[in-house]
Amino acid sequence: MNFSINRRNYYGYLFIAPFIIGFLIFGLYPVYNTIYLSFTDTTLMTREADFIGLRNFQRLFADDFFMKGVRNTWLIWILNFIPQIGIAMVVSVWLTSTRLKIKSVGVWRALFYLPNLLMPAAVAALFFALFSYYGPVNQLMVRIGVLEEAMHYLQEVTTTRGLVVFIQWWMWFGQTVIIVMAGMTSIPLTLYEAAMVDGASGAQMFRRITLPLLKPIMIFIFVTSLVGGMQMFDIPYLLTDGRGSPSNSIMTNNILMYMKFSSSKGHIGAASSVGVLVFIMTSICALGIFYLLREKD
Amino acid sequence: MMNLYRFNTNLMRIFVYLTLAVLLIITIVPIWILIVNATRSTVEIQQGLSIFPSVHLADNYRILLGKGLNLWRGFANSLFISLSSTVIAVYFSMLTAYGIVVYDFKGKKLFYNFIIVLVMIPMQLSIIGFYQYMSKLGLTDNYASLILPTIASAGAVFFGKQYLDSIVIHDLIDASRIDGASELGIFHRIMLPIAAPGAFTMGIFAFVAAWNNFFNAFILISSIEKYTLPMLVQTLRGDVYRTEYGAIYLGLAITIVPIIIIYALFSRYIVSGIAMGSVKE
Repeated sequence: MNFSINRRNYYGYLFIAPFIIGFLIFGLYPVYNTIYLSFTDTTLMTREADFIGLRNFQRLFADDFFMKGVRNTWLIWILNFIPQIGIAMVVSVWLTSTRLKIKSVGVWRALFYLPNLLMPAAVAALFFALFSYYGPVNQLMVRIGVLEEAMHYLQEVTTTRGLVVFIQWWMWFGQTVIIVMAGMTSIPLTLYEAAMVDGASGAQMFRRITLPLLKPIMIFIFVTSLVGGMQMFDIPYLLTDGRGSPSNSIMTNNILMYMKFSSSKGHIGAASSVGVLVFIMTSICALGIFYLLREKD
Repeated sequence: MMNLYRFNTNLMRIFVYLTLAVLLIITIVPIWILIVNATRSTVEIQQGLSIFPSVHLADNYRILLGKGLNLWRGFANSLFISLSSTVIAVYFSMLTAYGIVVYDFKGKKLFYNFIIVLVMIPMQLSIIGFYQYMSKLGLTDNYASLILPTIASAGAVFFGKQYLDSIVIHDLIDASRIDGASELGIFHRIMLPIAAPGAFTMGIFAFVAAWNNFFNAFILISSIEKYTLPMLVQTLRGDVYRTEYGAIYLGLAITIVPIIIIYALFSRYIVSGIAMGSVKE
């Protein structure tokens, strides 16, 4: 009997085999190939390519353009992440509050989440239209007297960057609300009841009970947001000219990678090195956070 | 004392509802303007903002398709890719998750931890190596390069494992074995039907992800007749439609309205799916 149960467990390998094969072919090998290409000067136009060691990486570190891309990506991500998590926390506390008893919690939550499902390419084109010179935002601003005359939002560094940050926030805060709320409702009510008996205030309960117990959820939100944020492409690419204009203010890592890939010669060696560096940077940050904050058993 | 508490609660409640209303307006207004403007003529749009629909939907549609943009072919392409990716992602992810939940094989824990790490690692950054590899295999400009990688969807496996943990009935599996059912047969004929709601939720996410995916298709697909919907959105932003605002809004509306309809029908599944994919039971 025991023997047959052990034998049967080999079926586990059969069930996970397609995933592993799919991963090796479409996941792992491309990673290996990208790393390999990043040490070469391969282009799409020539057959021959030489191994050039770390030269691609040296060039990138010496390249202000690349450094600017990295800085932009971090800046845009941080500026959107702080209000995203902050507002999501506040909204989640309100929607789960047993004192306030907010009505139709599910409807609020569902509507806040809606932008996240929309096609980012279409969202970028939508905001491009809304904030164009003759667009609705200018019409409204001039009519209600906020602006004296219409302005070119997408030709100014601050407004363009601000708009990308806003769009990212707009698309993601609803999802963060759902996740934080799920975390909050999974905290046993008895903990709060006990704290109330001991005379704890709302703020104390939030700081001593809610926050510590939300830690795993926070790590999840932080890491997934960081990984997504470092790969930001659709919105900044389609909002202006696809080169991060004005003054490269919204040129992100992935836009730079795409620019090298689509350059007249197709420098896929150089483009790969951008991918590899961002991959390393993101993975170190994500895994670092994951391990630093993980539950210690 | 009690009255003051109730007064404060009510005051707080008013403040909370107002703030939520402001957030809701910010969330909905851009989408509402998009849909309304799709029905307004370019002249109306230039004259000013309105929150009420107009009657120029048909005109906008004629202009939209009159400039050589084959939006419906893009729509059909996107639909084909998204449906195929969904079927593949759901089937293989459920298969993998079932293997992890039901069997106790050596290395299972390691494999599952590996999947969690995969969820967090930015695989997309290997797109260049993926492109060159696909071009060697002759699979660039081919939908296979967009569809087949969904066999290994780490996020979907993670979700499937969470879901199956809560519904798999081991007694039922044992009973079926005694009845002589094969292991794969049990998965197909007994567990998959039971897991249908979870598979459906997983499918919605897989579909939306494939439908909205711009970057991969942008890198891998080159011939215009194979362009997907997000790639055609670029054309709407280009010179051809420079002043045809009504047509631009309509084109954008066509790309996002299907998703809004799916959401209106299944928002319950979607919201609970997100919560489930993140909270460990």
